[in-house]
Amino acid sequence: MSRPVTFLSRADRLIGSREAAAVDRGMRLITSAQKAAASEFPVMEPLRDRSRAIRLHALSHLDRLLAHFADQMTAAGGIVHFASDAAEANDIVRRILAESGSRLVAKSKSMVSEEIELNRHLEAAGIEVVETDLGEFIVQLAGDTPSHIIAPVLHKTRDDIGALFAERLGVTETNDPVQLNAIARKHLREVFLRADAGISGVNLAVAESGSIVLVTNEGNGRLISTAPKVHIALMGMERIVSRWEDAAVILEVLARSATGQRQSVYTNVITGPRREGDPDGPEQVHVVIIDNGRSRILAGESAEILACIRCGACLSVCPVFRSVGGHGYGTVYSGPFGSIVTPALHGMDPWWDLPFASTLCGACEEVCPVRIQIPKLLLGLRRQAAEEGRLPGWLGRGMRVYSRVALDPAKWGRAKKWASRLSAPLAARGWIRRLPGPGRGWTQSRDFPRPPKESFTDWWRQHRES
Amino acid sequence: MNREQFISRVSSAVMSSSAPAPQPVPDRLPDLDPVDLTALFHSRAQAVDAVVHGPVARHGTPRAVVGIALGHGCSTFAAWDELATPGVATALAAAGLTRISHQVPNEHRKSHQLGYSNLDLGVTGSLAGLAESGSVVLTHGPGRPRMVSLVPEIHVVLLDVSTIERTLAHWASRHPELVRGTANLVLISGPSRTGDIELQLNLGVHGPRHLHVVLIK
Repeated sequence: MSRPVTFLSRADRLIGSREAAAVDRGMRLITSAQKAAASEFPVMEPLRDRSRAIRLHALSHLDRLLAHFADQMTAAGGIVHFASDAAEANDIVRRILAESGSRLVAKSKSMVSEEIELNRHLEAAGIEVVETDLGEFIVQLAGDTPSHIIAPVLHKTRDDIGALFAERLGVTETNDPVQLNAIARKHLREVFLRADAGISGVNLAVAESGSIVLVTNEGNGRLISTAPKVHIALMGMERIVSRWEDAAVILEVLARSATGQRQSVYTNVITGPRREGDPDGPEQVHVVIIDNGRSRILAGESAEILACIRCGACLSVCPVFRSVGGHGYGTVYSGPFGSIVTPALHGMDPWWDLPFASTLCGACEEVCPVRIQIPKLLLGLRRQAAEEGRLPGWLGRGMRVYSRVALDPAKWGRAKKWASRLSAPLAARGWIRRLPGPGRGWTQSRDFPRPPKESFTDWWRQHRES
Repeated sequence: MNREQFISRVSSAVMSSSAPAPQPVPDRLPDLDPVDLTALFHSRAQAVDAVVHGPVARHGTPRAVVGIALGHGCSTFAAWDELATPGVATALAAAGLTRISHQVPNEHRKSHQLGYSNLDLGVTGSLAGLAESGSVVLTHGPGRPRMVSLVPEIHVVLLDVSTIERTLAHWASRHPELVRGTANLVLISGPSRTGDIELQLNLGVHGPRHLHVVLIK
């Protein structure tokens, strides 16, 4: 994965763009639905606490849960594979497809498949891969990348999509979402029923029963795991809980936090391939459990981020995400959780700047259904970046000067007086709208109140006597 | 990497992990104030664009299903073998609908499946209803194919009101062994939907466009 530019240069291009405006509008709708769903559900808060406990328990027993899951899934007739990195995971999938003679693959949305760039590898091996989530299908047709984890084509208008379908599918151009939907349904229905294999992600795995849970609204997750002969599920190794009743608790908070739905339309629990006497279902179910840097995260300071259930709530409320959209991050996982996962998964080089793409306002932690301490984890990564000497020298020197001044009341008092005096000529009607020199960038989108002539400390000293 | 190497790498990561220690998970789920479950189910299922009928008496079920089929102008149907109410398939056939076989043998799999392309109506039973989210729970197995609730334009599901419970979490905690017993369990909350194009709601993107729930007393 290469990223030639920094977060800042991407953000500069996106701020104020049509794409960012569309993302912001979408996020507004989603957050109000999320709030309504959470406040209406009388046990939302206790179930958030419970979800957090369930996920942290799973992380602290991850080795045992994975072993147990593998045994149970195998007992149910499934085949479990272990992949230490992206290359191995891609290789395993390619091998399964080759051995089953699969040429056409129907795929439902899977973040981890994007993380390992599965499509590129399969296509290089001559396999046709069709994304079936409507948004992902559009992204694939356009040769684009998703801009949001649960709403991948937020950045495209109905006109964009109409033109794309006309060009790529040879249909009459329309911008009516109902018709666009019907076109995609017809096109993809053929794919589902003809596909040799289906590939999906895993929302949750259940160790005790060896089950995997797939959540979709469109039904593509069910189709790709029912119609084709072979179903391959790709699973990030942390996506597991102990028991079915734990999974059910997580499912209560997942949809409410993701889209503001009470439940997603289809929650699909799969325990192995079709059984004796079953009238339909796949003959083979493969689960590929993928590490790809996760054990490194688990052993490190950002371990808590692995409790994430990928609802996307932290994206919707993040002022930075809302200003730039998912493409600003230049990676599969965007927004607050992405800024932690990406440098942890792929290394600080070149991703060290993502943890700085945050105002640390804490809105993400407030909405997180498993209460991950996102700002704390971001600060940890910032500290690491500083310790590795990645920050410009003036910043470190400046902070050292600042701390010397701020820790000494006399120096602090003198500094305040100077700040007031020096800034006076820059201010108009009590506000500084433009700072000179290096401060200019900072005031591009912010105004700064003029420091008062007299500080509160001075005022207090004078009035205390009277 | 083989399983042993993989798990042992995870084990050492768990040992040195800095993830916060989990609070114990309480035995009991939080209680909810009692409500009229049928009424709550009714309103919540409608809120996700399902059409709710009844509650009807058991012997009135075939007529209710035929009414739905004719209302949509359906000409083909598939149904689960074992429905809680007998006579539904017979009544649909008597009303002039053609039944499509739902067996998908491992041989000639694709040609059988393509026969599904023109399926208008699917009729299934259900194991339980979940009031808070307006969901129905289906478990699949012999005589209860997955495709019948998935590929047709219209899905009719029969739901015994005595099986309605409050939430998925509470229901699952009472049936901890359930998922082990079936290769596929599915929770359905309304017809297939997407908001991918400009976040505008669109029904029937891949699954059924219409979901009818027939409540049975």
